[in-house]
Amino acid sequence: MEATETVHDRIGTARNDHTTAQLALVFALVATLAFTLLFVQEPLVHDSLHNFRHAVGVTCH
Amino acid sequence: MLVDYLKQGVLAGAIAGIAYGLYVMLVANPLIGYMEALAEGAGGAESGHEHAHTAGEHAHAAGEHAHAVGETTTTVVSIGSGIFWGILLGAAFALAFYFLEPALPGRGSTKGYVLAGAGFLAVSGVPWLVLPPTTPGAEQAYTPTIRIAVYGGLMLAGALIAATAIYGYRRGSTRSRPIGLCLAALPIVALVAVTTLAAPTIVESGPLPAELVTAFRGLTALSQAALWALVAGCFDRLQARARDRPSTEQRVALAASSRS
Repeated sequence: MEATETVHDRIGTARNDHTTAQLALVFALVATLAFTLLFVQEPLVHDSLHNFRHAVGVTCH
Repeated sequence: MLVDYLKQGVLAGAIAGIAYGLYVMLVANPLIGYMEALAEGAGGAESGHEHAHTAGEHAHAAGEHAHAVGETTTTVVSIGSGIFWGILLGAAFALAFYFLEPALPGRGSTKGYVLAGAGFLAVSGVPWLVLPPTTPGAEQAYTPTIRIAVYGGLMLAGALIAATAIYGYRRGSTRSRPIGLCLAALPIVALVAVTTLAAPTIVESGPLPAELVTAFRGLTALSQAALWALVAGCFDRLQARARDRPSTEQRVALAASSRS
């Protein structure tokens, strides 16, 4: 099955198996997690993540 | 099937994230605290010089930030954020792996490690060529908004470079493996050359000793690379384990057919 399957097939399988809302939810959750860890400017959250951002080596500071 | 991949990715990310959280707690936290104190001291000593003065102010602000929340909170949040970072990378890895698996070169677990390498390049490696990991007390050009935009653009560039490298390998390896590897290395080497020659220096490391800054950057790069490798490794193990047992969909189909 792996040999003949293409990226296009995978996208098709995902669209058949799940509704657009489900897929959007998955991507939204991943985006939310990224945003919370890296960009939230709320002082307490931002400050307690200060060391983490240094350790990960991301730029926002 | 997508859900199975995602479940395995999140679990693999959580396992790798626990290891990474421990690293942040045991290594990164004390090191950054030490470097912040050092940067503050160095900045204060030469406060007559305006350059050093601004650096000192930044370090001072950073030092105060660290104390704005309690030590315990910082420790708990550091471990927690380490785990969440692992889960984020694991989920992103699983999603990308689900869609790109047919296009990745190699057999079996190699595919996962290739994707992890591409992920490291896109998320960290390529952006660091222009925006290296910032050390406490470092001075940075431009506003944070511009730097975030630059970082985002470089992540895209990193993804493109990784895709080009993989495409090059696939084309070249039909003739021989070494040719494929050379073609894969070509875009990466070209990018490194271009950024070292042409990119402006955005991050000035400030008053800290250069060796300490180098060591910190090396540690950051190695820990991120290890995190990606761990995500790919755990994901591969979880997939192998799931292959031995029927998937959720198969179980549902089996239950439905046995009822009718």
